Amino acid sequence: MEKQELIAKDNEVLAEEFEKEVSEITPEADIKATLELDSLSLVDMVALIENEFHVKIKGTEVAQIKTFGTLYDFIYERLNA
Amino acid sequence: MKTRPLFLGEELFKLIPQRMPIVMVDVFYDATDTEANTGLTVTADNLFCENNKLREPGLIEHVAQSAAAFAGYDTYRQGLVPKLGFIGEIKKFKIYRLPLTGECLHTHLAVLGEAAGVTLLAAETRVNDEIITSCQMKIFIKND
Repeated sequence: MEKQELIAKDNEVLAEEFEKEVSEITPEADIKATLELDSLSLVDMVALIENEFHVKIKGTEVAQIKTFGTLYDFIYERLNA
Repeated sequence: MKTRPLFLGEELFKLIPQRMPIVMVDVFYDATDTEANTGLTVTADNLFCENNKLREPGLIEHVAQSAAAFAGYDTYRQGLVPKLGFIGEIKKFKIYRLPLTGECLHTHLAVLGEAAGVTLLAAETRVNDEIITSCQMKIFIKND
């Protein structure tokens, strides 16, 4: 999967799941703030990414993923590993 | 050849904190790191039975205790005492029909994701091959 295709799919599924506009999701934006995630709903994002991209995100890795840009990079690297 | 379930009847007390008459799981068939199978035979004296049907709160409690047993099994096999678990959220709960007394519920649990100590599970309960209920449940385990 090309990175631009990945980004578009990622933004689309996250926007739909968390009822946001795709335009709100930018590489620099903070994931938790943008999607209004709390300690309970964070797992929804993890499950969504795992389901859509078949990429496993460990608990320690979640803590490192702050912005959508780092999330795109994480998924892209895993898919191409 | 069928293998014996991992835990039957009161053996489940090693996995869950509930005790009679509130125990809503009577068999823990098997489990992997990400999936588990539990069951319950609906009896007329079940606290949640009314007019020979297991009512909605009983189904929810069965799924919740199945999730608790799954979490308890994880700590049990590590040689630890099962920790207290909490339901964070139940969503997408669908009940297709209420099970009758005498019917055997079989519940399959699958981990959908984990983050910040919270586990998201998908649960599906069947009687034979018929889906009775399905839902997603978030649980978290209290660490000392």
